[in-house]
This record gives sequence, C-alpha cells and structure tokens, in this order.
Amino acid sequence: MASSILIKNEARLGLKMVAPAIGIIGLLVIYPILFNIYLSFFDVQLNGTKTFVGLDNYSDLLGNPRYYHSIGVSVIYLLGTVIGTTVLGLAAAVLMNQEFHFRNIARGLILLPYFAPVISVVFGWQFIFDPVNGIYNHVVVDVLHLTDTRENLIGNPDSALFVVILFDIWKHFPIAYLLLLAKLQSVPKDLYEAAAIDGQNAWGRFWHVTLPELKFVIATVVLLRIIWNLNRFEDVYLLAPNVETLPIFTYYQAFAGIVDQGGAAAISVIQLLVLVGLIWLYVRKVLKW
Amino acid sequence: MSSVILRNVNKSYGNLPIVKNLNLEVKDGEFVVLVGPSGCGKSTTLRMVAGLEDITQGDIQIGDRAINDLPPHKRNIAMVFQNYALYPHMSVRENIVFGLKKSGADAQTIKRKLADVSEMLKLDDYLDRKPADLSGGQRQRVAMGRALARDADVYLFDEPLSNLDAKLRHHMRTEIARIQHQYNMTAIYVTHDQIEAMTLGDRVVVMRDGVVEQVGTPMEIYLQPTNTFVATFIGSPAMNLFEAKIEGEDLVFDKYRIPASKIANVDMHNLASHETVLVGIRPDFFEDSALSLKRSPSDNLFEFNDIEVDLVENLGFDKEIMFKLGGEDAKARLDLRSHVQRQENISLSVDLNRVLLFDTSPQGMLINAGEV
Repeated sequence: MASSILIKNEARLGLKMVAPAIGIIGLLVIYPILFNIYLSFFDVQLNGTKTFVGLDNYSDLLGNPRYYHSIGVSVIYLLGTVIGTTVLGLAAAVLMNQEFHFRNIARGLILLPYFAPVISVVFGWQFIFDPVNGIYNHVVVDVLHLTDTRENLIGNPDSALFVVILFDIWKHFPIAYLLLLAKLQSVPKDLYEAAAIDGQNAWGRFWHVTLPELKFVIATVVLLRIIWNLNRFEDVYLLAPNVETLPIFTYYQAFAGIVDQGGAAAISVIQLLVLVGLIWLYVRKVLKW
Repeated sequence: MSSVILRNVNKSYGNLPIVKNLNLEVKDGEFVVLVGPSGCGKSTTLRMVAGLEDITQGDIQIGDRAINDLPPHKRNIAMVFQNYALYPHMSVRENIVFGLKKSGADAQTIKRKLADVSEMLKLDDYLDRKPADLSGGQRQRVAMGRALARDADVYLFDEPLSNLDAKLRHHMRTEIARIQHQYNMTAIYVTHDQIEAMTLGDRVVVMRDGVVEQVGTPMEIYLQPTNTFVATFIGSPAMNLFEAKIEGEDLVFDKYRIPASKIANVDMHNLASHETVLVGIRPDFFEDSALSLKRSPSDNLFEFNDIEVDLVENLGFDKEIMFKLGGEDAKARLDLRSHVQRQENISLSVDLNRVLLFDTSPQGMLINAGEV
C-alpha cells in the first residue's frame, strides 16, 4: 500500500516537473501545427479574413502540375543529398580515424563548411559557377577545353538542381563526418585484429567490422538528413531560387505572386504527414528499432 | 600444424626496447607458455607472431614460411583475445564460422567443425544468441571456439582466462589442456598466471624486461630455476632466499651450519670461489619435523631447530606458517596434520636434495645446476 502511494506521489511530482516543458512545446510546436491544419481548410486573405472552403485547397493542390514537379525535384534533391553527405561523411571519418601528422588540424578544418554562414558561402558558390567570371567555366572551357560553350549552371533549373545538391553535400557532410567519427573512435581495436586474424583484408574488415559497428549511427545520420532536407529552404532558395523543391514551392504559394496561405498550409500538412510516415516506415521497418 | 621459430627478434617503440633479442623454437604440436610480470614483452612477442605488431629486427618463421612481411590475414593463425573480441552483431554461430568461411572451407566442413566445437565447449544452447546476451564465461568459450574451429597452423592465446573468476578459470584451464592434447595443436599461450603456465605448458618461457630468463619444462623451471628472478616468480608462496657465508665446507647463516657437500649438484671447488651465496628453499619443501613424515635413513635432511612461528594460516589441505630465518621473513607450507601454533617453537626439516644455491650477483645465477 505504502509503495503505491509513493508511486502516485512520484507521478504527480513528475507531471509538475515536465509541465513547463510541455507548455512550451505546446505553444511553439503543437499550436502552430494545429493552427496550420485549421488554416488548410480556409481561403485566407492577407487582411486576415478567412472563408471556409472545405477540401478545396487540397483538391486544387492535387490538380496542380507544379506541385507534382516540386515533389519530383524534392525526391532527387533528397536522394542526392542524403546519399552524398552520408557517403562523403563516412569516407572522411574513416580517413580521419587513421594516424597521420597534423590529424587534429585536419579534423577541425573539415568542419569549416558546416560552420560557415550560408549567406556568405552561397555567394562564393554563385561566383564559382558564374558563366562569365566563374572558375568553373574557366577551367572547363579555357583550361581543359572540354566544351566550347560557357554554361550557366545555376541559371538553368535542371543543372541548378545538381549544383544545389553538390552545395548541400559540401556544406552538410561534416555533420555526418562528426557523428560517424565519434562512433568510429569507440570501435574496439581488437575487433579489427580478430577480423585480420580471421583472414579479412582491409576491405573485409571495413565491411565486417566498421560498417556493422556504425550501422545505427549511419541510420541516425540518414534519418536526420531526411528530416532536415525535406524541410530545407534557405540553402536552396539563396543559391538557386529556380530549383523548386517542396519548401520553395510552398513559399511561392504562400508569399509570392497570388498569395495563397490556405493552399500553402495544405502543402505543409501533406508534407508533415509524408514526413511522419517516412520516418515511421524507416525506423520500424528498415531499422527495426 | 606447424612449428614456429623466432630468431633474434627485437621490438622497440622509438628508443624504448620492448623485446630484446628473443630466440625461441616452438615445435610442431607443442604448447609453449610465455609467462612473466606485466610489461615483460610476452604479449608483444605473441602479437608479433600474429602480425599485429611489426618486428623491429629479426625473423619469425611459421613452418618453413618466413612471415615477417605477411599481414595477419595471410598467416593462417588463430587467436584468442584477452577481451574475447567477439563480433557483436553476429550470433555465436556466425562468430565461430566466420574465419572458417573466409578460409574457403566447404559447407560440409563448416557444419562438422561447428558441431564439434559447440559440443566440445558446450555452446549448443547459445548458438543463436548474440555475444551481448552471454556471460563472461560463455563469451570466453565462444572466443575459444572461434579459434579452435579454424584449421590454423598456430593457435595463439593472449591471457584468455584473465577476465574469469577463479572457479571458471580453473575449469577452462583444464578444458584447454584437454583440447590441446586432443588436437595436438601448436600453441603459444601468454599469461601472467604461473599456475596456468605450470599446468598448461609443455614448455614454459619465463620473461622479464623483454628478455627470456629461462626456457624449460614446468618441472625444470620449478626445480632448477636458472636465477633468483625465475626462482621467486614461479611458485607460490615465493621461494625463500637466505644469504649465507661460506666457511670451509659449510654454509652459515643465523645459527645454522648446512654442510654444503650434502646439497645436490654442488661443485665444492666452484663454491669455494664465492664468499657468500643465496640459499633458496621453497616453502613446499619444509616439513614439520614433529610429524616425521616420509623419513628413511637414506633421506638427506637438514633440521632447522628453534624456529619461532610468527603466524599460521590454515588453508584446509595445508597450512602456511611465517617465521624468521637469519633475520629474514620466511614461509613454509606444512601438512594439515601439523599442529603448529603461533609463537610456538618448532623445528623444520628440509630435504637437501631440493635446496638451491644462487650467487650474489645482481642476476643471482643458480650455482648447483644439475639433473631434475
């Protein structure tokens, strides 16, 4: 009996302790989500007047070819960036786990792109790909003579998508690298020794020891990258506003040209559902956590 | 199976020598134990044979292959690690057959070996478990099984029992001895535990500071240690050493005169060149004179009379007593029938055939070397 009273008291105290956190999360996360869902059923004017339109926003959206196009762009963007950052991060982590001179400096330098403010590096990248003065065209056309024509890679939405992917890989692989390196350092050395004794060469040891040990960190990296990049806005918009990923499409829908906040809300509701579904599928079915 | 030959092997880290000019031949089917205090270079030596450390100087040969420049995965060796090093993401079964598969064994062989090993080490019930779900003793057996399943030229053991509790350690020690005899494998076994060294080794290599102090069968090491280091390192409690003056034909210390000529293998002429010697007597070789055990006229006994017992520890089967001899602390291990009490005066007898003499140089070399 005494212990059940104790448990009840504990539970009551626990509730009091987490209440402020729940309050803040409710205010900053739950409320906007709910309000967003609410908005998606209205035609919203800039002056604040709202007219209930039922599922019109959703049906308009599902009939809009630009929406499907942006989904396609987002899928390519996601695939490219998630795979790219994970693979490059893994390669860098394995490399930086070897012993060599000035390793600590190198380990630090790798993080630079991640620290650098987006706005400044974006201009750098735009300059690299500038059709007239950029180093890219200079190298490809004037030095290597690979083609005769100077391309405006960022100006063309199709090639700009790949520049944007490349930019994201460059900017965000350090976070994958950081997480993977931390785990790599804790892999017991004798596992590698045992694998070597069991006849595995360097590649076999990577495959049979490193990868299984990194499995969950790699999974975490992939999960984080999916969540972040499905919602990624500023990198894409600043570097190449003509690449219409879902967030960019949503932004145009909500704030540019014909302002349609209700439609934008509908997009984000769908995106939220898709994201939740994706994560659920990934965590429960792929990772079996 | 293969022999292993180490020729003038040296290992140093920078300017710090770890193993100095080591020579050793492990014969085909022989079980050799490297024993010594921590930091003596025994593990480093083993790891050089495995290829996990490179060799600064010298040659290592397995069978008739020089292996200095072969990476570990090409040496065809099996090894049991101190911390087991089981692959955490693999089941016990996968752990055991991992190396076997890589070596290109066919499915039939793999199945048979797995069955053999899991029966021998009683792993049948755990084959589908992951290492994380096993106790320390079970993990140790899996590590053992992984090595034994392999058809390796040499089996290496790096303190495989040091993480087990005393009872389990004893059990596994017996198992290893049994398996080694059954398979007649060439093995090098590193330990700091002298009991493992004595019980497992066909031959024992005692090392200190990167140098081999003695190589011999366990009984040679025990009865004829080449110097005071080996004498005191092997055997528990450690051998008693008393400094004695040489007066004519007698060794004199405290109030005792031991006739040197009655001690086994003593060259009196050689002895005369020393002023003092160290007399080494194992605690096990003292007897309580009051018990008159195993007496016969041919026995070559010396009596230490008037010994005051400082302390008696009853260990069940035998008892250890502590006393002073020539001002030094000394220990004796007596039969359980002895009735010695603390602070009692007793006499202890010693078989002079078992008494060792060492010179007083820093190495403390054995003077009366002979047949065991």
